[in-house]
Amino acid sequence: MAAEQATKRAARPALVRVHALSKRYVQRRIFSRDKFVVDALKNVDVEIPPDCLTALVGESGSGKSTLASCLAMLETPDSGEIWFEGREISRAAACELESLRPKIQMVFQDSSGALNPRFSAAQIIAEPLEIQRRVSGRKLRQRTCELMEEVGLSADWADRSAHEFSGGQRQRLAIARALALRPTLLILDESLSGLDLVTQAQILNLLAEIRIAHSLTCLLISHDLSLVGQVADHIAVMHKGTIIERDTRQQVFESPRHAHTRELLAATRTIASAFRAERPGSE
Amino acid sequence: MKTGKMMTSKTMTNKAKTRAAAMVLVLLHGIIVFGGFIAPGEPASQNRDFPFVPPTRLHFVDAQGHFHLRPFVYQSVSRPEGLYEYEESRDQEYPIHLFVEGPKYKIAGLFLSSIHLFGVEAPAQIFLAGSDNYGRDQFSRILYGGRISLGAGLLATGISLSLGLLLGTISGFYGRWVDESVMRIAELFLVLPWLYLLLAVRAFLPLHISPVQTFFLLIAVIGSVGWARPARLVRGVVLSARTRKYVLASRGFGASDSYVLRRHVLPHTYGVLLTQAALLVPQYVIAEVTLSFLGLGLSEPLPSWGNLLANLQQYNVLVSYWWMFAPAMALVVFSLGYLALADAFHKRLQSVTV
Amino acid sequence: MNYLTRRLIHGIMLLIGASILCFLFADFAPGSFFDEIKLNPQISPETVAALRSRYGLDQPMPVRYVRWAKSVFRGEWGYSFAYNAPVRSLLAVRAGNTLLLTGVATFLAWLIAVPWGIWIAAHPGRGIDRLSMGSTSVLLSVPELVLALGLLYLVVRTHALPVGGMVSLRFDQLGRWSKIRDLATHLVIPVTTLVLANLPIILRHVRSSMMEVLKAPFIQAARGHGISKASLLFHYALPAAANPLISLFGFSMGGLLSGSLLVEVVTGWPGLGPLLLEATMSRDLYVVVGVVMSSTLFMILGNLLADAMLLAADPRVRMQ
Ligand SMILES: Nc1ncnc2c1ncn2[C@@H]1O[C@H](COP(=O)(O)OP(=O)(O)O)[C@@H](O)[C@H]1O
Ligand SMILES: [Mg+2]
Repeated sequence: MAAEQATKRAARPALVRVHALSKRYVQRRIFSRDKFVVDALKNVDVEIPPDCLTALVGESGSGKSTLASCLAMLETPDSGEIWFEGREISRAAACELESLRPKIQMVFQDSSGALNPRFSAAQIIAEPLEIQRRVSGRKLRQRTCELMEEVGLSADWADRSAHEFSGGQRQRLAIARALALRPTLLILDESLSGLDLVTQAQILNLLAEIRIAHSLTCLLISHDLSLVGQVADHIAVMHKGTIIERDTRQQVFESPRHAHTRELLAATRTIASAFRAERPGSE
Repeated sequence: MKTGKMMTSKTMTNKAKTRAAAMVLVLLHGIIVFGGFIAPGEPASQNRDFPFVPPTRLHFVDAQGHFHLRPFVYQSVSRPEGLYEYEESRDQEYPIHLFVEGPKYKIAGLFLSSIHLFGVEAPAQIFLAGSDNYGRDQFSRILYGGRISLGAGLLATGISLSLGLLLGTISGFYGRWVDESVMRIAELFLVLPWLYLLLAVRAFLPLHISPVQTFFLLIAVIGSVGWARPARLVRGVVLSARTRKYVLASRGFGASDSYVLRRHVLPHTYGVLLTQAALLVPQYVIAEVTLSFLGLGLSEPLPSWGNLLANLQQYNVLVSYWWMFAPAMALVVFSLGYLALADAFHKRLQSVTV
Repeated sequence: MNYLTRRLIHGIMLLIGASILCFLFADFAPGSFFDEIKLNPQISPETVAALRSRYGLDQPMPVRYVRWAKSVFRGEWGYSFAYNAPVRSLLAVRAGNTLLLTGVATFLAWLIAVPWGIWIAAHPGRGIDRLSMGSTSVLLSVPELVLALGLLYLVVRTHALPVGGMVSLRFDQLGRWSKIRDLATHLVIPVTTLVLANLPIILRHVRSSMMEVLKAPFIQAARGHGISKASLLFHYALPAAANPLISLFGFSMGGLLSGSLLVEVVTGWPGLGPLLLEATMSRDLYVVVGVVMSSTLFMILGNLLADAMLLAADPRVRMQ
């Protein structure tokens, strides 16, 4: 039943289509000829189908964040194309960016670094609305409170500053802020790392709710295949700057094609069995 | 738990310290701003019959041994046998009156008035800090000179910090070759010993110009020599603020450079700027004093702490008239206040960043 | 490239930069030495023009700079208008005197500050610590000018020491030991002023870096092994706290030189300070540039010395 639905969705054209994307970081010192070159992305090809939750997994340093930054137009790739809703966005002009930016929003891993500690919760959520000049004055306040409640935070806390919230609550704030502009694609870069299991589950539940409410397409980035494996419709596996595998979850779990994917899977299974072995009677 | 408690008590005392230092400074500046009211005389009015009169003593007990609640002074008269030597003539007491009529001045430089805080009836005079070679009241001259010295210090600090903020922000925010070149130039300004630099810059500017021109020239020179340190500090703060995740997020919402600067970057620099201001003001007051002392700054008859102290360059003044050190006291008191404030700011900055 | 070689090249670049900066300032400035002469009615405008062209002042800035640079390589450092002599001959003696003054003052200040700072760092919060911190914070806000004048006043009143200059008038007639004694007595006031002005900063830095180190686990461990207190402080803690102190040594040169300028002027010590002041008054361009370059050179040499010490104290620096 679920598999049927997934195939039906997959039949529709992809929301994002990435083709031959490459990005190289070069660091050089002044007065010195040594260069430090990192090929963060090498010929990446990937598609993100609409209305799905796609997971992007790979060990740290494999280029996931770089890909996400390129998608969110925070980095310019060296070569390749990114097609979004039928437009090539990787080299969009400044005026185009203005209308494109709200459609692709990102939530970062480090929730304390991603929220300005000098801002109150209301100011944090209002920031994108202010920048885009969507609403102002009383309406702005009203919209912020709505957004807070939507992500499960009480509107009474609107005037608390960011560091008074717990890790999970801060992540909710970051999600509310990203939702403020009603994006089409929401990228969550390691947004669940560093949270405890219960909070992770709560945020995943929240994500499921808002996905339906806003008909959002999500890209969930994580280094942990076991975590996202349970909720993703599609899984893309990244390794050393390239996408080595992308398929439905079932396909990836049951018949992984790439050796590295099998390693990742094996790692999650050993950890899971280790858990079981250590806690007898927990099942 | 215990460390937490200790932390709060420590920051509390720091807060109290900040407040105390700030209050003392406000009081001191108030005295200078309302100097016209507090000074019993005019800074320029000469009294050639009374050069180098020692500070007038306040008495409570008269020659008959009666106690007076209101302090009084005796008239100073020059001793017939010695040059510039004075004694009190005990014939008549001159009680000190509050809110007396005196020479005209402007309250805080704005409203004309002739009421002074205190004074004595003629022919007695009151020289709280003695008189100088022209018989001018040093106390009044210190108050009026404070306006010029402190004004120069404050304005020069404003110039340095504005330059430092501007260049530091550009440097930290735009990075690359701009950063590289601005920081190289800053290094150049830092490697030159500041007083040598100051004198060198002064050396290339005209010597004989009007006092007002000199004043502004001096401020410009002092202010533009010291931009490098604040620029470096601001650059550091901007650099670290710029790479924060929330700045990236803000970019993702389509924020412009000016928005990011205004909302996310510049607010971080205020702490550094405040600390630097508290350090620079006394330093620049001293710079003005130094230049004027060396004869390269403001000259007579305009009073400034520097040219008041310049009297001490004469050997006989240095040896015989200790009260000519009084401007130095004023300088030290102000420096003490500012340094205490800078210390408190610095501690607060550290407790925030740690 | 070797660490010290790189620092040396850096220092030379800074020196070149400083000289260019001097010429830029001079170029912006409206007046010159010959403007003062122009006011003299006995000298004709033609003579002034001839003088200007003889000293190359009618040339554009880059040409003047290159000329000056060449004269530096010839060992002349430009020409003094007022003394009518190469600048180097004026500078050499003066720079030596300044170096003597600042060198002795630096040495004494560190000699006093290090043990004292270590001692109060080991006993924080005690009476002596509080007293030291309180008195240094007062001393910090007394400018060198006031310190020098105050000391001068005391000395003049008590007739305890000779005042003014570097040596007595009859210096040449003295024997060797009396000469040294004479010089030393003349050094007392300027050196004391400089030491008093710089001691607070150094003392506070020594104290804070030592306190930082004394908190470190390896010190606690050494303490647990029952090592004697003196050995703990001087053999374990001091080397660990050395790096920031050596850097401070480099930084503090600037303040010391600036302070020394003032002290020299006030006490009549024939160093670079009075020369600069004189040259500033008479707009003797190349002397001003020469003095500023000498002071910069001292500063850079101080920093290089600090770099070398840093290298000796901490091999990790070589990696940078
Ligand atoms: N701004 C940058 N400058 C230089 N190298 C970078 C930069 N950002 C990322 N890299 C490098 O690119 C590679 C991929 O990084 P990233 O995309 O952050 O990986 P992931 O998110 O999968 O952990 C890493 O080797 C990283 O060091
Ligand atoms: Mg990442």
